[in-house]
Order: sequence, then structure tokens, then C-alpha cells
Amino acid sequence: MISSLVYRVRKRQRYGVALALLVLTAALSYAQSSKGQEAAAAKPVAASPATVEQIQAGKALFASQCSFCHGRDAAGGESGPDLTASPLVEQDVHGDKIGVVVRNGRLAKGMPAFGNVDDQQLAALVSFIHDRKANAKEGRRRTVDVADLQTGNAEAGMRYFNGAGGCAKCHSPSGDLAGIGGKLQGLELLKRMLYRENERTTEPSKATPTATVTLASGQTVSGKLAYRDEFTIGLIDSSGWYRSWPVTQVKFTVTDPLEAHIEQLGKYTDEDMHNVLAYLETLR
Amino acid sequence: MKFAKLFPFAVALVLASAFCRLASAQGLDPATLLKPTPDSWPLYHGDYSGQRHSHLSQITPANVGELTLAWAFQTGQAAEIKSSPIVANGILYVSIPDHVWAVDARTGAQVWLYTYPPNEGLHIGHRGVALYKDSVYLTTPDDHLVCLNARDGTVKWNVVLADVKTGYWTSVAPLIVRDHVLVGLSGDFDNLPGMLKSLDAETGETQWTFYSTAQPGTPGNPSGGATGGNMWITGTYDPELNLVFVGTGNPTPVLAAQTRPGDNPWTCSIVALNPDTGKFVWGFQATPHDTHDWDAVEVPVLVDGIFKGSPKKMLLQASRNGYFFVLDRATGKALLTSTFAAVNWSKGVDKDGRPIHNPEKDPARDGRLVAPDEGGATNYRSPSFDAKTGLLVVSSRDAYGIYFSKAEHGTVGWAGADYGVFGKAVLRAIDYQTGKIRWNHDLGGGWASAGVLTTESGLSFTGDSVRSVIALRTSDGATLWHSAIGHVGNSPITYQLDGRQYVIVASGGELFAWALPEKSVEQTGSHR
Repeated sequence: MISSLVYRVRKRQRYGVALALLVLTAALSYAQSSKGQEAAAAKPVAASPATVEQIQAGKALFASQCSFCHGRDAAGGESGPDLTASPLVEQDVHGDKIGVVVRNGRLAKGMPAFGNVDDQQLAALVSFIHDRKANAKEGRRRTVDVADLQTGNAEAGMRYFNGAGGCAKCHSPSGDLAGIGGKLQGLELLKRMLYRENERTTEPSKATPTATVTLASGQTVSGKLAYRDEFTIGLIDSSGWYRSWPVTQVKFTVTDPLEAHIEQLGKYTDEDMHNVLAYLETLR
Repeated sequence: MKFAKLFPFAVALVLASAFCRLASAQGLDPATLLKPTPDSWPLYHGDYSGQRHSHLSQITPANVGELTLAWAFQTGQAAEIKSSPIVANGILYVSIPDHVWAVDARTGAQVWLYTYPPNEGLHIGHRGVALYKDSVYLTTPDDHLVCLNARDGTVKWNVVLADVKTGYWTSVAPLIVRDHVLVGLSGDFDNLPGMLKSLDAETGETQWTFYSTAQPGTPGNPSGGATGGNMWITGTYDPELNLVFVGTGNPTPVLAAQTRPGDNPWTCSIVALNPDTGKFVWGFQATPHDTHDWDAVEVPVLVDGIFKGSPKKMLLQASRNGYFFVLDRATGKALLTSTFAAVNWSKGVDKDGRPIHNPEKDPARDGRLVAPDEGGATNYRSPSFDAKTGLLVVSSRDAYGIYFSKAEHGTVGWAGADYGVFGKAVLRAIDYQTGKIRWNHDLGGGWASAGVLTTESGLSFTGDSVRSVIALRTSDGATLWHSAIGHVGNSPITYQLDGRQYVIVASGGELFAWALPEKSVEQTGSHR
């Protein structure tokens, strides 16, 4: 039996600048660095105060390259978050945080890498984003506050968790979910609860799909699913090596622990969803 | 007068007219758009029907496994090719924002490149150019229509469609109907009315403008206070009815609807217009009172055939909201409404075949889990219709998103927030007689980004969600060929030159031309 693998969410088909070359570059630089994004130079790109000209240049560049997703005023557009309310922008000093995201992208979240942006352009973009943050007004896309999500009933959520939702088949409030309400909050907790994106992460997780391949010789190889399409199956074997086979020459099974989450998406009422969230919030 | 006397004149006339034909042979006679030749792909959809179906049959289910790369063309640009190329007289025209290339359709060698100056219009993508006589038409991110000399890419004229500062941009491939160049604007973040303009192909003068929502200054409140409804994908045309069919985009404000009660016509709709006057003839709303950004701009596919026993001129659309519609295109009345992907947002279908808006699934302060997500059950890349099997083959997604909106989000532009949760891409073949899914083909990911081309020999070309261009048997969806060139980002086209059929797909910034090996072409001897 072949079960399906984790399907990574792409937020939208009109996705703008999914630049194959840049994505490749970013993927390569990612591959070369075990720490991923953290390893990219987190250096300030705009040490001196922004000038009006710089902000204007940043506005034009932002409008042409970023505004579809983040809005022309950086307060969010189609699928991209409100940057004026972004914690990363809040922490950014002269582009040390923003620059890393622009250059490397956040591929798993659908943000492409803009590797061809030079230092001057980046400094302009950064100055525009900070200017927007300082002068943001209401409207456009906005963030979701933790307080917005407090409409559920924790007790009903617990009943659903243990009953109809079937959550207790895999999860335990005193085991893997112990303290989850303290670790994640609000929208982050809700998104994790519904479905965990198959992000590139070095964090060990039970939620990784695994594959078992049976070779023609009868030998079996198991490991973390590393690649799959209609034609090829790839995994990371027990010694840490990537291996792949044409699907026509082997038999294989894929086990995806998140399959139940996918099925659940079609079953939740909005009330169930809010109730389970309320219950998870109590697990501190 | 004696014939003998006239004879030399007659000969001269014939010769002169033959010479004129020869001299203009490199141009595109707009009359041929009604019946495109096999060596061309002269319109965005290949022809006016929007079927994206080719009568070419050199590449067959039996030999498709032998396909080889005839040529590749590298733009050298970072931007992904999303456009559908145009081919006429041996030259292929392909675009990305601010760039058009003319390329030898036999070899992939560049003939010319036109580059538009840097500008601050939104560079989200470019859908393609249009061709008329010896002119190429290009829309620009900052809302200009540029007319180029098809010979060398020099500018003939350049006119302004809208003010980019207001939030409009353009990406559409214009639709040519006689001397009309039809261009829809984009811009659904700024509470702007949807506009479709017709310009004179020779001069660039505006002939008419159709507003899908209230034109500024219109008395009354015809759209219930909504703006938006932009027409950013190329429409289709029925010469007998002399009607152009175009899909319209989402209303604005996008996720917040308190300021726009009612159905908000004609947003998220299919509209039928007279191409000579821009006069509105009928409209059908795919999503009345949309609150999820589900543009109904997906290709309105025109099909003539028997429906439930009687001959009908129909219009098919697999819409972003997850519904499949068959309309009578003379009247705009629905003949069939069904779903083709996961849908949880409606309260069913009304007597007119329209999905019924469910306010419980409107974006809310605490979030609503909605299928499909914002990206939709399908999006702008083209489906394809195969008449033999009666199937509309469409790249679709079962997808869930969470939608938020609250008073503090305001009533301008997006006015809310939404997040994709999960998506699964499946190529689906919809039987238009029943709305039932004949077959599903798992595309292996969450992202359905390739259009579909069907051919007379029973093949469907598209891309999977991982990294391959694939050819399937149209009757059952079985995979017959693939090549891992990277994910396909446009809608495939095909044409035949010198007796060799080419299938063109784009991946990233490259075009790939597939054909049978030249030896096999000789052996099959299927010259046309």
C-alpha cells in the first residue's frame, strides 16, 4: 500500500517571482550550510540613517517586486504577512534581519529568494519597510492577535480531542503536547494544530514521513522520506545517506503521520477548531 | 473591350496581388485568427474557443515516449515564464514583465529582444503578447500598451491604459478581435473598478471601456458598494454570436464585506460583451458576494455540442471557487453546476445554478477554515478541452485556508488576513455532460502551476507539482512520458513546422521545445 506524502502548502498560484534560478541558488546555499538561514551574514546593510531618496527608491523597488504579497504599503497583500506588524521587522537593525530573509527567502513558506538584490537596493528596501512601520495606518491585511482566538470552549475541545477528533490516537497532553500552550500561541498554535508544514528543519520530529523500500533482491531500506514524485522515491537511510530508486524497480510504502490531520481538515467545524485550540492553550 | 486587351493588366494585377501577399506574408492576417493554421499558435489560447486543443496528431500515445528536446531558449532572466507564447510565420513571441523575445520557432535562436524601461508597476507576472498584421502588443506593469513592429521589436506607439499610481497594473495577453485590441487591467488591492479596454489596433486609440463594477461617478449603487472585478486573463470569442466572454476578478475590499452588501455584480463573474461597442450582454456570477479572493478569471472555454439531447453553444469554466459551470453562452443561463475539488464554503446551489453564499464561512475575527484556500481550486493557467472524450482537463487543488477579518483591518484593499493550511494538487478530467470527474491524476504536491494542452491524437501535456513536464493519455490520465526539467510554469502550446510537431513548455526562465527525433519524423512520413 502506498500512502501519500506530506504535500507542502503553496499559498497561491499567482505567486509572483518564483525565480527558479534564485531558488536554486538559495537551495544550494542552504545545502552548504547546516544552519540554514542563520549562517547567512547577519550584518547591517544600511548603517546610516535613511534618506528621503533612499525611502523613495525602496518604495519603487518594493512596489515592483514585493507588493503583490506584502501590499504596496508593506501592510500585507495576497498571502504575504503585514510587515509593519512583523516581529522580525521589529527586531531588525539596519537590515540585519530583513536582509537575510530577502536574500535567502523562506522557501518553505512560499517566500522566494531575491539573491540578485544588491546592497544599495536592499538598504533602500529596508529603509522603506521601516518607514512604513513608523507610519503604518489601519487597513490592508493585518495580523491576528492571540486575543482574537479566544472564542473556543476548552472543555468541549478536550472532549473532541479524546473523542470525535481522534487526536488522542497519536497525541497526549502529558506527552508530546505537554506545555504546547506555553510554547506556541495564537495563530502559530492554530496553524500547527491544523497541519504542520513540511518545513526544512533539523529539528527531529515524529511528524516526518518515512519510507520503506523493498529492493528486487528482497532487501528493505527504511528512512526519512527525502524525495518523491511519480517516477522516483528517495530517502535518507540509517547511515545518513540519500538514496533513490525508480519506482518501477522497487516496492515501497510511505507512512505519513500527518495523514490524519489532512483528513481532519474536511471534518472540522469552525467551532470544533476553536474548541480544540482552546484546549491546547490550557496545556501549559 | 476584348479580353486580350485586358489580359496584360489582369496578369499584372494577379502578379501585383501575389506580390502583395508575399510582401505581407510575414504579417498575421487577422482573418486567419478564425481558423488558425497548423504552423501557428496565433492567439493566447491557440484559437478563439479557449479549448487549448490542437488538431495536430504527429505526436501520438504510441510515439510520445520518444520525444526529444528539439531546442531550449534561455531568457537569462530570473523571472519565471508564465506566459503562453504566440507563434506565426515561423516566429515565436514570449514574454516576462518588461521583456519580449522573438525567437525562431524552428531553432530557438533569438531574432530580437525588446526591453521596456524599469518602472514601479507590479511585476507579478506576464501572460503573453498578441499579434495583429505586423504588430506585437505588450502590456506593461505600469499600465501601458506598447505596440511593437513584429519584424524588429521597435516601438510603433505606446499608450497609457491607467495611472499606475492608483494601484492598477497590467499583465494580460491582449485579445485581438478584428481591429480591436482588448486589454483588461489588474489591481485588486486598492478599491478600484475593474476595467476592460478596447483599443484600435492601428492607432492605439481607446474605442470603449467596460467597467465590471461601478465606474467612478456612476449614479446609484449598481455593485452594492463593491469595487474590483478586474479582467486579468484573456477572454474567448464567438464570431457567430459576436460576443467576447471574459472572467472578472474578486471584489474589493477583498476579505471584508461590511461595506459592500449584496451580490456585488459583476465581480467573480463571467460576462459576455459586444466587442465592437463594449456593450454588456449578459453576466453570470460564479461567486456572488465573494469574500475569499476567488477571481472567476479562469478561461471561459467555448464548446459546441449536444447537451442533454439538444445542440447547444456552451461555455465551460472550472472556477477558482471549486465549482464547475456549463452555461448556455447565448443567454448566460446555467446548464450544469457541480464541484470539482474540496469545497466547504457554500450552502448549495440556487435555482440559477449559482453557489449560495454562506455567511458562516466569511472571514471572521477568530478565523474560518475554508476550502478552497485563497490560491483556489484552480487558478489562471489554462485548462484544455478534448471534444473526442468530452473532457475538460484542469489542474486543480484540494486546499484549505484560514480566513480572518475584523473591524480594525479596515475596508480598504485586503482588509483581512488569510493563511494557507494545506493543499494537494490533482489533475482532473471533468465530463462536461455530467460534471463528474472521469479520472484524477495525482500531481505529487500542493501546487498546481501548469496549464494543460490536449491534442487530437489523445494526449494531454502539462506539468506535475514536483519537477516534471508530463504527457498523459487523455482518455484515462495514464502517464506516457515525462522529463524532469523543473516545474512547468505556463500553459503548453504546439505547432508544426517543416513537417515536425513541436510542443513548447516553460520552466523557470527557459522555454523547452519537444519533438520526435528527426529520424522518426521521416519514418512516420506524416508531413502535412
